[in-house]
Amino acid sequence: MSCPKTDYLLQEYFSEDLSAVARNELDRHLTDCAHCNAELESVLLVQQDLQQWQEQRVPHWDRGRELFRQEHRIDRPVSRFWLSWQWLPTAASLVMLCVLLFNVHVVSNDSGFSVSFAGSSVPNANLNVQLAEFEQAQRFEMQQLVTRVETRQDSNSVQLLQAVMEQAQQSTADSFDQMYAYFEQQRLLDLQDMRAGYEQLVDSDYETIRSLQQLVNYVGYQSDVR
Amino acid sequence: MQEAMQEAALQRQNGNSMSLIGEDEALIAAALKGSAHAWEKLVKRYESKIYNHGLRLTGNSSDAMDLMQEVFLGVYRNLHRFRGDAKFSSWIFRIAHNKAVDMNRRKRLMTSPPKFSEEDEGDEFEKFPGKANLEPENRLGNSEQNVRVLKMLDELNSDQRSIVELKIFQSLTFDEIAGLQDISENTVKTRFYSALKKLKVVSEEQNVLS
Repeated sequence: MSCPKTDYLLQEYFSEDLSAVARNELDRHLTDCAHCNAELESVLLVQQDLQQWQEQRVPHWDRGRELFRQEHRIDRPVSRFWLSWQWLPTAASLVMLCVLLFNVHVVSNDSGFSVSFAGSSVPNANLNVQLAEFEQAQRFEMQQLVTRVETRQDSNSVQLLQAVMEQAQQSTADSFDQMYAYFEQQRLLDLQDMRAGYEQLVDSDYETIRSLQQLVNYVGYQSDVR
Repeated sequence: MQEAMQEAALQRQNGNSMSLIGEDEALIAAALKGSAHAWEKLVKRYESKIYNHGLRLTGNSSDAMDLMQEVFLGVYRNLHRFRGDAKFSSWIFRIAHNKAVDMNRRKRLMTSPPKFSEEDEGDEFEKFPGKANLEPENRLGNSEQNVRVLKMLDELNSDQRSIVELKIFQSLTFDEIAGLQDISENTVKTRFYSALKKLKVVSEEQNVLS
């Protein structure tokens, strides 16, 4: 069942400047009229659907920074800092050039630093002695180390050799045992075969003798008959 | 007791919004004096709102970005004219609205519409141009709700879409919208309600399909 007031009333429903009296009237009608009420419910649902929108993140962009800087003629604070220290790289380059040109040597020892120019190195016997001692100590330590390594390697090799030999002995003994058992078995089999052959031979000999005897008997009988 | 608490909460809220407005004004003053940092902070405060506003109006992120950049360029050019009579947020959204209308007009001119046939009611031409080939799924990330909202908004013509945006998402009054769009308040109410009715049908169709 439709209601002629639906469109007008629902247009007014979303209005903010509705008087209190008109609002009460509207609410009363919406309570009484099922059609208007259902229509309102459905448009409110639509509104709710739309409000499900989730804020999307803005893709990266410049935010007009460059334009702002250009128009206000603002230099970056970093560049301003570097501008005030621009002399520094030049000064450093000059110092390095002087060091190279005058062949400057800086040597530190127990009594402090000493600087020399143009290759005239400061004689330092103490340093040479220290270097010689250090070299000797290093050589001695290396010798000891080599000896220790050699000893350890020798003992390792002996152990390895012993283990290999034990293994080899064991395996040779095992294989000899196996071979002996095999030959023994073969010998027994051969003996059995030979015995069987002899027995057959003897049997056949007996057969031959018996046949000869029968032949002799037959011949003797034939001669008796004549 | 409860009323007192509500009043206190309201005061707090008012205090917060007042302090935000104060901050806006301070940032504007600093930006006008040439502080790039203040300008950037001001942009950061509103970029998300303007970008999302553009997304809902245009339906795709590249147009939304263009619109946002145009809005902030407009803000930058006219910042010295901002007198502080109205809230900065209202002022910036007024610029956004004007830019969106301009963009819509420009796009309509650029995309030559096909020949008008009798079956067409002309409604298609009134939709925001340049988005016909793009489905909402392709225009945004994978936010299901947003895709659904865009699909619904796509069914409205640009006037309705703009009114729905201003009323529902920007919480403007009918009177303010009428002022912005230079039409009568009654026309705004009628358009808003017809937009809701159209959206209701679309929503029901979507529910049936899903």
